Amino acid sequence: MATINATLNLASSDLTSSPLSLSKTMTMNKAGSCNGLELTSGLVARKFTATTEVDLCKGGTQNYGIPTVASADGVSTNSANKIYIKNTGSSTTDYVTIGLGTATAADAIGGSHLNLGKLFGGDFLIMPAAFIATHGDITIQPSTAEETTVEYMLFFE
Amino acid sequence: MATTTATLTLTSSDLASDALSLSATKTCYKAGTTIGLDQTTGLAKTYLTAVTNIDIFVPVPGATMDGKNGKVYIANLSTEDTEFVQISIGDKLIGRLYAQDFMWIPWNQEAQHLSDIELAPSVATGMWVEFMHIHEGMVYPTAADS
Repeated sequence: MATINATLNLASSDLTSSPLSLSKTMTMNKAGSCNGLELTSGLVARKFTATTEVDLCKGGTQNYGIPTVASADGVSTNSANKIYIKNTGSSTTDYVTIGLGTATAADAIGGSHLNLGKLFGGDFLIMPAAFIATHGDITIQPSTAEETTVEYMLFFE
Repeated sequence: MATTTATLTLTSSDLASDALSLSATKTCYKAGTTIGLDQTTGLAKTYLTAVTNIDIFVPVPGATMDGKNGKVYIANLSTEDTEFVQISIGDKLIGRLYAQDFMWIPWNQEAQHLSDIELAPSVATGMWVEFMHIHEGMVYPTAADS
């Protein structure tokens, strides 16, 4: 097993009258155990040059392994997968929209396809990645056709 | 405006033969600007004693903040390895946060139900969780006494 630590620090001296100084560390363990996750996609860098929505990361057979695909109801979602995604750009106006669903014309972001939120230049996220069979693909849609680079890293069991 | 900075570090000396040491830092801005997010729910900490799926952040019916920027932090403070909270947005399951796990995501308040952030504990014996929303605006429900 491996030991992977993730630490999030949130700091602000002026968001509220009491300074914010939050620090949280997690060791990425397998579901329900104290054994660490030991598989990863590696740090992937992808360049996008169109505003087309595509799958960024999904479960099932990949060239780096087979991340668990959970049942549609989530009951058998026995995984503690985590994904990190970063828009490596520096633009404050161009962004990528991260979605959850399937990257098809019939399931575009909005409507039944979850629009999770936007990552502007330099923005990042870290979250669980259950990869639910029916809607679990993590999708991405750049706001511009100008070259946009996004990094992601999946940790899975 | 306020300046709120988020920094994430990922480290591992034994995940692969090349040590992982990744760090990302970003100031939280309003959408399309360099103006800092200036509103927050504050850091809520609560003790949940049922496995009921609950809303922790909800867009108000009829109101939309679609396109506004916001960041959400959620952590499971349990120390029992087997205990988790299941996180969903609307009817889409994001995944599980096991003991001491956290998440940090952008959140688009598109519409009620579609964008509600939901949390379901795995046990009814009591679990501590904490969560916070840092944002550029939200709509509060109109007061009603009945």
